[in-house]
Amino acid sequence: MDKKLKETILNPILKGNPITVLILGICSSLAVTVQLKGALVMALSVTIVTGLSSLIVSLLRNTIPMRVRIIVQLVVVALMVILVDQILKAGEGTYAIDKQLSVYIGLIITNCIVMGRIEAFALGNKPIPSLLDGLANGVGYGLILIIVAFFRELLGSGTLFGIQILPAGYIPNNLVILPPFALILLGCIIWAHRAYDKDLQEK
Amino acid sequence: MNTNSNAYTVIYTTLVVVVVAAVLAFTAMKLKPSQDANAKAETLRQMMSAAQIKPTDELYATKNTGVLQLYADNIDRAYTIGLDGAQNGTLSTDKAKIELVDNLKPQNKAIKEGGDVTLPVYVFKSGVCVIPVYGAGLWGPIWGYIALQPDGKTIAGAYFDHESETPGLGAKIKDEAWFREKFIGKQVAFGTEQPFNLAKNAEQTGAANAVDAITGATMTSKGLGEALNVWFHAYEKHLGTAAVNPNEEEE
Repeated sequence: MDKKLKETILNPILKGNPITVLILGICSSLAVTVQLKGALVMALSVTIVTGLSSLIVSLLRNTIPMRVRIIVQLVVVALMVILVDQILKAGEGTYAIDKQLSVYIGLIITNCIVMGRIEAFALGNKPIPSLLDGLANGVGYGLILIIVAFFRELLGSGTLFGIQILPAGYIPNNLVILPPFALILLGCIIWAHRAYDKDLQEK
Repeated sequence: MNTNSNAYTVIYTTLVVVVVAAVLAFTAMKLKPSQDANAKAETLRQMMSAAQIKPTDELYATKNTGVLQLYADNIDRAYTIGLDGAQNGTLSTDKAKIELVDNLKPQNKAIKEGGDVTLPVYVFKSGVCVIPVYGAGLWGPIWGYIALQPDGKTIAGAYFDHESETPGLGAKIKDEAWFREKFIGKQVAFGTEQPFNLAKNAEQTGAANAVDAITGATMTSKGLGEALNVWFHAYEKHLGTAAVNPNEEEE
């Protein structure tokens, strides 16, 4: 694999992580991280939406009139989001999760990562790198979501994927379940990430 | 070609919108049957959980077809009533085409504004009848199913659900089994100003129609209490006067 392609895939997961470095997609990482299962479905949905909309926009990039490009991008993203929502609703196993995430699936369209990657990458690159860039950004986003959800479900409900982990005597911490705790946790993750990677620190 | 000319822009955007609309319409049409089946099975699970046909966990572990079968096996009859308490329609309970009144929002509106309603009553073979309730929580709609004993006022079971109440607080109306179990054995005071009392320290009054509100979920509890009262009022001409007996037809 050539170096540039490798960079495209790895950068969004580590050094250019959309949440911890670009600080995009914060709202949904607070909202859907109460349980691991929801976070996982959200991560998958965002990955699919960013990947496919980057691919489509990249395919169309030479035909899109520059003056209305944002509107065309928005239509493409909206199409993907509605398709994901409809498919989740139709699956027997995913129906309950869709019900739980309902509003947030629809709000993927407002997730800055999706439009951000289209504007910054897909508009100026070939389809395959654009697809990979979109997918990798989704994975980078999902990774943080799952880390946050892991702690919130463990400390907030004493379970992981709905299975009791902590002993029955554990009193669930209600603060952990509320969104402010996710923000604190996210702050800690950003702190750890910056302490680990000195390049991210401002001079 | 000049991709920035006005004509190109107009034609391009029109084309994009038409293609996207066509794709969406096609998917919506293709997926509608399975989406409806999921929604129907979900409603049946909640109703049968309230009617204590099977434990809630087991119902949620059952596949859609199993849920339809279970309902068909246990239901005696289902019908709709108006606000005057008289029956105004029947609902099919045949396994192949189970009919439900599962869009409760317009019904809730009609109850409040005094319009025409078709309020469902589902009578199970065990003798309990299940009625829905619907109202507004803190963030979105909340609803539930209440199962009543053949005397028409003693609660045999309940199940509540919500669209977007706060996890760990308002969401307890659905997540915590102890909350719905509190309703079992309570008696709805049909014909009074307040058929049911869901409030802080309500149980201390010792009244048969009182359940404590959930700590930290004041608005959700208030909304649920109001939903219960609005819907119990709507059913009181039907349930408050004559008991529903599964072995006899309604007069």
